[in-house]
Amino acid sequence: MADRLERLVNLTATLLDTRRPLTLDELAERVEPRYPEDLAARRRQFERDKETLRELGVPISVHAVDGFGPEQGYRIDPAAYYLPDLSLSEAELAALHLAVTAVRLEGGAGREALAKLGGLAGEGVDEALAQVTVSPLVAVLFDAVSRRCPITFTYRSEPRRLEPYGVVLRWGHWYVVGHDLDRDAPRAFRIDRLDGDPDVGRPGSFEPPSDVDAARFVRDDPLAYGEDRPVEARVVVDASRAGWVVEQLGDASVVDRRPDGAVEFELAVVNRAAFRSWVIELLDHAEVVGPADLRAEVVAWLGAVAHKGAM
Amino acid sequence: MSPRPLVGPRLRRVLALVPYVLAHPGVAIDDLAERFEVSTAELERDLELLPLCGLPPYTADRLIDVWIVDGSVEIRLAEYFDRPLRLTPAEGLALLAAGRALLSVPGSDPTGPLATALDTLEGALGTRGRLAVDVGASGHLEQLRDAAAESARIEIDYYSFSRDEMTTRVVDPWRVFHAFGAWYLAAWCHRASAERLFRVDRVRTVRPTGEHFDPVGRSGTEPAGRSGTEPAGRSGTEPADLVYRPRPDDLRVTLRLAPGAVWVVESYPHESAEQLPDGSWRVVLAVSEVAWLERLLLSLGPDVDVEGPPDATRIAREAALRILERYR
Repeated sequence: MADRLERLVNLTATLLDTRRPLTLDELAERVEPRYPEDLAARRRQFERDKETLRELGVPISVHAVDGFGPEQGYRIDPAAYYLPDLSLSEAELAALHLAVTAVRLEGGAGREALAKLGGLAGEGVDEALAQVTVSPLVAVLFDAVSRRCPITFTYRSEPRRLEPYGVVLRWGHWYVVGHDLDRDAPRAFRIDRLDGDPDVGRPGSFEPPSDVDAARFVRDDPLAYGEDRPVEARVVVDASRAGWVVEQLGDASVVDRRPDGAVEFELAVVNRAAFRSWVIELLDHAEVVGPADLRAEVVAWLGAVAHKGAM
Repeated sequence: MSPRPLVGPRLRRVLALVPYVLAHPGVAIDDLAERFEVSTAELERDLELLPLCGLPPYTADRLIDVWIVDGSVEIRLAEYFDRPLRLTPAEGLALLAAGRALLSVPGSDPTGPLATALDTLEGALGTRGRLAVDVGASGHLEQLRDAAAESARIEIDYYSFSRDEMTTRVVDPWRVFHAFGAWYLAAWCHRASAERLFRVDRVRTVRPTGEHFDPVGRSGTEPAGRSGTEPAGRSGTEPADLVYRPRPDDLRVTLRLAPGAVWVVESYPHESAEQLPDGSWRVVLAVSEVAWLERLLLSLGPDVDVEGPPDATRIAREAALRILERYR
């Protein structure tokens, strides 16, 4: 173990220091402790080392050594290896330490990141204030965002092509947002609903607007999020739940306050299914009063449930 | 020592601490151990390894020089390690997400060291404005956090979603935390004479009672035998406790779901789930509150068939008829 660690450190140093790519034979001549003499064992051992380094994020690049043979050379581009100088102050490092302890990130690598930036400064907290889950796929997509790689994926059985501008965590779900190439419009997709892994295209393939604010791609109100022809719905909510809905929709949506405390709201509906679920969550405390076709739709939906149950 | 310790974490540490020592010559070995979360003994083993490392041909002038004098460390001849390794995408995301999440909590300083550190990081990663993490401000969040911090007994009006009812209760707020996309209040509820979890966004009003409670007096409620790996909150309430745990006498319903309603299987704990040859799902759910089942069956509509028991079928029908009353 100590031997392998020693060789991994030496291999990293050698690959960082070299100006030209080194072949495995050259590395075997130079790097200590020595790779095995046996060629197959040597190759296996080197591949393992390379894999370990790449898992840590060491950018080992592979180059053709000459135009004729299959032989490959390896090096580490210092520009790709070195963290840019961030000059974070001790107070800033302490603030980041506090953040990675206060926000428990399931599946996250915040402490490893902090070690690279200069270790744990100041005091963390013992009891997490918030717990957030992040899947490896979110990191893949965030990487695609930062390297400007277009992505293609299947979403609700439909193929999609997206120039990803950002990732957003809202209501406990991660979204990838950006420019939908087929619809030529901004779109947001729930990452846990992607069918399978997306294909990540070539880096630097597009130029996002300079002032992207990813948060604005995911709208605050799930009701305002859909592709149906927009209609203005009017809904009356009982006194017992009205205060609630005012908080959710805002004062601007209130069109009438009735003497019994019930409130009539007007809201834009662009996603009829989401709207129906929202009204149904209010059970018998709410009633759709218009427009007539939307009201009829809710009545028909409920009627079908009542009828099915009667069979 | 275990037979095959992982080499990765140790290599990661070595590649991080060498640049740190190069930038901070003479750093105390104890401080170094604390910063990199290792024992002093382990750190010394890392440092002992370094003089064996360097560049070919590994002559004295090519090997890393480590000096430990009076408990402080200096490293020389390791210029190629003078800056740390870049963050991986996962590391960058984790650090930024944790920082942005904390910054979105009401009461955080939007121009303090956390904000400036995140801005610097995002500038270096080229991701300014590309990551938005909002754990969501909730109406009475700050008031509840203050009450918990001051051990102030309060009265709340609370809407129980699963029972669809509004209640008023006096509670001793222990802890406020965010999990699964929502804020929760862990408190002793005097109405139930038990510990309860409340969704902060369903707290309608908060009224001070003027009384205070003894914050250590509740330690007896902590579940015995909790393993030390979890940061055991005083209340013993952990996010994992939020997952609904069925009781033996809860109603079990068997549902047949259309393929498009598979989110039910993904979102709710279930007793069993199987996909049938036609792509539909048969799932058995435990139900503790009728209003919850009403909402589920009503919003699924044609995407669900209740296979049993008859009670569940009746619940859906009666709920639909009750709402339809309003539309007559």
